[in-house]
Amino acid sequence: MGKKKSEVYSVEVNGIKDIETTDEGDGKEKYRGLKNHLGYKKEHQKEELKKELDLDDHKLSTKELEDKYGTNIIQGLTSTKAAEILAQDGPNALSPPKETSEIIKFLKQMVGGFSILLWAGAVLCWIAYGIQFSKDKSASLDNVFLGVVLALVVIFTGIFAYYQEAKSTNIIASFSKMIPRQALVIRDGEKREIPAEQLVVGDIVEIKGGDQIPADIRILASHGCKVDNSSLTGESEPQSRSCDFTHENPLETKNIGFYSTTCLEGTATGMVINTGDRTIIGRIASLASGVGNEKTPIAIEIEHFVHIVAGVAVSIGVIFFIIAVSMKYPVLESVIFLIGIIVANVPEGLLAAVTVSLSLTAKRMAKKNCLVKNLEAVETLGSTSIICSDKTGTLTQNRMTVAHLWFDNQIYQADTSEDQNAQIFDQSSATWASLSKIVTLCNRAEFRPGQESVPIMKKIVVGDASETALLKFSEVIMGDVMERRKRNRKVAEIPFNSTNKFQLSIHETEDPDDKRFLLVMKGAPERILEKCSTIMIHGQEQPLDESTAAAFQTAYMELGGLGERVLGFCHLYLPEDEFPDTYPFDVETMNFPTSDLCFVGLLSLIDPPRSTVPDAVTKCRSAGIKVIMVTGDHPITAKAIARSVGIISANSETVEDIAKRLNVPVEQVNKREAKAAVVNGMELKEMSPEQLDEVLINHTEIVFARTSPQQKLIIVEGCQRQDAVVAVTGDGVNDSPALKKADIGIAMGIAGSDAAKNAADMVLLDDNFASIVTGVEEGRLIFDNLKKTIAFTLTKNIAELCPFLIFIIAGVPLPIGTITILFIDLGTDIIPSIALAYEKAESDIMNRKPRHKKKDRLVNQQLALYSYLHIGILQSLGAFLAYFTVYAEQGFKPARLIFLRSEWEDDNINDLEDSYGQEWTRYQRKYLEWIGYTAFFVAIMVQQIADLIIRKTRRNSIFQQGLFRNKVVWVGIVSQIIIALILSFGFGSIAALNFTTLRVQYWFVAVPYAIVIWLYDELRKLLIRRYPGSWWDKNMYY
Amino acid sequence: MAALQEKKTCSQRMEEFRHYCWNPDTGQMLGRTLSKWVWISLYYVAFYVVMSGLFALAIYTLMWTIDPYTPDYQDQLKSPGVTLRPDVYGERGLQIFYNVSDNTSWKDLTQTLHTFLSAYSPEAQEENINCSSGQYFIQKEFHAPNHTKFSCKFTADMLQNCSGLTDHNFGFEEGKPCFIIKMNRIVNFLPSNNNTAPRVDCTFLEKDHKDFKPLEVDYYPSNGTFSLHYFPYYGKKAQPHYSNPLVAAKFLNIPKNKEVIIVCKIIAENVSFDNPHDPYEGKVEFKLKIQK
Repeated sequence: MGKKKSEVYSVEVNGIKDIETTDEGDGKEKYRGLKNHLGYKKEHQKEELKKELDLDDHKLSTKELEDKYGTNIIQGLTSTKAAEILAQDGPNALSPPKETSEIIKFLKQMVGGFSILLWAGAVLCWIAYGIQFSKDKSASLDNVFLGVVLALVVIFTGIFAYYQEAKSTNIIASFSKMIPRQALVIRDGEKREIPAEQLVVGDIVEIKGGDQIPADIRILASHGCKVDNSSLTGESEPQSRSCDFTHENPLETKNIGFYSTTCLEGTATGMVINTGDRTIIGRIASLASGVGNEKTPIAIEIEHFVHIVAGVAVSIGVIFFIIAVSMKYPVLESVIFLIGIIVANVPEGLLAAVTVSLSLTAKRMAKKNCLVKNLEAVETLGSTSIICSDKTGTLTQNRMTVAHLWFDNQIYQADTSEDQNAQIFDQSSATWASLSKIVTLCNRAEFRPGQESVPIMKKIVVGDASETALLKFSEVIMGDVMERRKRNRKVAEIPFNSTNKFQLSIHETEDPDDKRFLLVMKGAPERILEKCSTIMIHGQEQPLDESTAAAFQTAYMELGGLGERVLGFCHLYLPEDEFPDTYPFDVETMNFPTSDLCFVGLLSLIDPPRSTVPDAVTKCRSAGIKVIMVTGDHPITAKAIARSVGIISANSETVEDIAKRLNVPVEQVNKREAKAAVVNGMELKEMSPEQLDEVLINHTEIVFARTSPQQKLIIVEGCQRQDAVVAVTGDGVNDSPALKKADIGIAMGIAGSDAAKNAADMVLLDDNFASIVTGVEEGRLIFDNLKKTIAFTLTKNIAELCPFLIFIIAGVPLPIGTITILFIDLGTDIIPSIALAYEKAESDIMNRKPRHKKKDRLVNQQLALYSYLHIGILQSLGAFLAYFTVYAEQGFKPARLIFLRSEWEDDNINDLEDSYGQEWTRYQRKYLEWIGYTAFFVAIMVQQIADLIIRKTRRNSIFQQGLFRNKVVWVGIVSQIIIALILSFGFGSIAALNFTTLRVQYWFVAVPYAIVIWLYDELRKLLIRRYPGSWWDKNMYY
Repeated sequence: MAALQEKKTCSQRMEEFRHYCWNPDTGQMLGRTLSKWVWISLYYVAFYVVMSGLFALAIYTLMWTIDPYTPDYQDQLKSPGVTLRPDVYGERGLQIFYNVSDNTSWKDLTQTLHTFLSAYSPEAQEENINCSSGQYFIQKEFHAPNHTKFSCKFTADMLQNCSGLTDHNFGFEEGKPCFIIKMNRIVNFLPSNNNTAPRVDCTFLEKDHKDFKPLEVDYYPSNGTFSLHYFPYYGKKAQPHYSNPLVAAKFLNIPKNKEVIIVCKIIAENVSFDNPHDPYEGKVEFKLKIQK
């Protein structure tokens, strides 16, 4: 039963779902934590969950229950009554997630980001045309055309972004396929199968092993019923269910079964007491959905960047609108200038490029087993500064494994790696031979048949975790266990139970000459030792004296101190004369000795850490990421695992450790001295948020043990108060609020419940912590690379903007048209800007601190200034050089161009004189203007190649980075050139596009400027490397 | 995903902005201290000075490579444009409407012609030489004063009846108006490769006026030709006093009270008039309506 099927339920993206439950009882536990920025409603809602459940059904007697719900235990509800309640309460299903409708999502894409600006541009175009048309019926359609193009740009980029988002959402949709479930219910006195959805409160249901519990039920009768509540509590230990009221807390009492948990074995009959959203799971689900889904760090960064660019666009636009009007340009023309300025300023293709870059990274991460649901989460992982990790399954292998052995007065270490193929302890001792026999024989676990070809470690075993571990352990070392068991036929057996705390079996021996029976026993070490009078040392039985008992104690304590589960093993050969072949062993009366046995050894079991984890934790640490372990496990075990994976490093101590070392009470230890801390769930309960903050700030290595699911949420919020970007891993339903609350929730792909996967932003397909680290690396890389992409894209905006400004101020013929600008933004520059996403890291990005989400911006002042005012200006100069070259060589020297605009654009002047006295018709001038556009366009393209190359690195020289390592950049460069060639030569004849063919030499006019750009940037990087921390470094490093 | 951005109130934002404008703790204005501002301004000034220098150098180099007499390329000037005087533009192109009996309606038109022809008075043409060869006036050397080349005289009187000298009203008054057709200058342009002079040919636009009698035109100078000795043009620097040769067309049979479209083409080997994009290349079209 590797798979846990749990209910698919709602985790909604935003909005607060109001779950005013009817119960108003006062909560025992005061919910602490996020008082600051959550509204009352949310708080109230959490309060609601936090008081766990004001359920008293578990305290009621059957009779009282019957009265309360108007039902009959034997007959069940009547169909009519059930229908009535169903109509009143609604179906027994969790409300489907309140999905934002697709239309809304689509419209959001249409108005988000720069779209508003472009819409404004398009509308202005149409208004301008409208005004022109009302004055002059023959007004040219240019403005309508431009407006349509702008609108199309918005619509297409919107559709593109929507498609990208939908694609990444679909990946995850496959996880949540709902299978309709049936429930066996008693109604009108007869049993019938109905869809679980139709269950109502008061229904009597029967469940059996393997079923999922269809609603919250109060157990009325049970036969060996055990349930797995792990989807609710995170603890996967099977819990028995009976009709006894055993605990005040409804979560702890044995007579309540919870919706979506699984019945492992046995059967039970119960009465439905809560359905649908009113079940515990339902409440957690609505809690998770109540935890707001707010913006990802990268979304905030992009918004910040959009604000900057839009601010620049609007302010320059308005300033020049005013300038134009005051220079006596007609208002209509000024409006058209305004459109040009907006179009030039808005990097139309950038958001699409960012989306593509993110999805490329998401794909790369998916290959490394990190499935990203939300594209933006790709980067969030990179800025993560705290990881709150689950222990079981994430840090550990999620299976018990033999870690240590103790025999012959010595502790041996066993191989706990994933395949356990290197067992190096001394197997020559005769004691080991006996011990191995006990391990093999005193074990009820069996391999499921038909798995001959499966490696031992992967074979499916029927049996509990410890026995499985022992079975696999002996199978690995000694081979065919089943065969050995057959040779040592079992004649009697007492299974393990919690009162005896031991397990015993009696076997015939495999030696045909030896007619004795062998009694083997395993169990809690102290209980086993009590039953022994001798101990086996090097195959010899020796009396158990005080020194050996002390040695046992030391070993037991040591192994226990490692957080391992220790088992003792003993045996006894029953004398042949007393117990002949035919002796009738009776396990009820125990007609065989269970004392004065021979103690053989100890084995300790642990859920060992995954072998990749310690390395990953080290990497996290050097990357400045704090790894916090949050587990429901025992503090000692938690601490031991934390130590072995490096969450608590070898030389750091907790307050308790220091106290122990100095031999002083814990209170006297200066808490600041302890790097590490192990916080117990009980302690956490007592802590105020301030105290929790103190723990989180003062200790770098923290383990939270014995935490309840709800406390995970408190811990996450505590971390977020430190301005940290928090990643949380989890698998259970109970984790979903924390997953949702975290900046990035990471669900386990194998062990995780659907609820967790729904709430998470990312799914770890292999449940492996190490995958998170690769994810972090990718996330950081994409942040760096997005910086480069944005810097690359912003640069040319100045080269696109300056023409308009010069056009307005100096009255030269327009150097570049609006449509041409769109061809740069959405044509030549798209592939190169995406190509930067493939850039390799400049230095070891895993060796620096995570970025501070409020200080290390994606687009900072340096980036904007350097792109706009350095490289951008250089590019403009280069492009203007091309422009002036074209005009001068064709007859208009620069001096002639100044303030030529009004004549130039006058359709009624068909003999305009150039610098040589030649006369030009309007069309001849217009065509020359298009040559100018094309030359300007080509010049920008050529310089964008240089820009692309310099943007490959921010600090290193381009030669350190390697000019050819990123092949995609070269694809980008080639694409730029090819697109430009196609536009110039292929579409040169289409008048509407304003492109013309260009003389060959005009393609190279801007090359010197491209070289200057490259040299200038190399100089910048050189000085940054030379003088770190200098004025230059501070102002020029972006 | 969780709360990263706390909502700020407006006053908080204002406060932050004020703090940004002037931070009393660190003495920062707009994020920098005064000295930092000075430094960064100095850097930008230096940077832009260097960049402007570089750009000036580039422009200087460009100008240095450019021939002062002839443009490097004449990609757009393969065939000259043609213009008309008087030039009154309506919604679409030239449109000359007047009423014979209302002399205010054509006074402006004749005034335009007078003004235009004032550049062709003998005084204005004094610097130019008399030519009569009817052949291309090829000048390899700069023999004219001030290192220039000679230009041929074209005086208004060559337009005879349309010169405005004999008939001050250019025939507008009698409904037989004169129009002056000018061919655009293009440096080193030769209208034909043999010795045929380019000729103006004005007709009604055929497709619109099938039912009219063919247009009767008197051309001045006779035949409506531009004499070849005005070609080639050597550019403003070489021929500072050059003036375009003109052809006047006097339309004799314009139907009254009717809008007609007339097209005047230049007939010459190297002049094309069939560019679909450019209505003024090698021809000029205009609407004419004479009311009575």
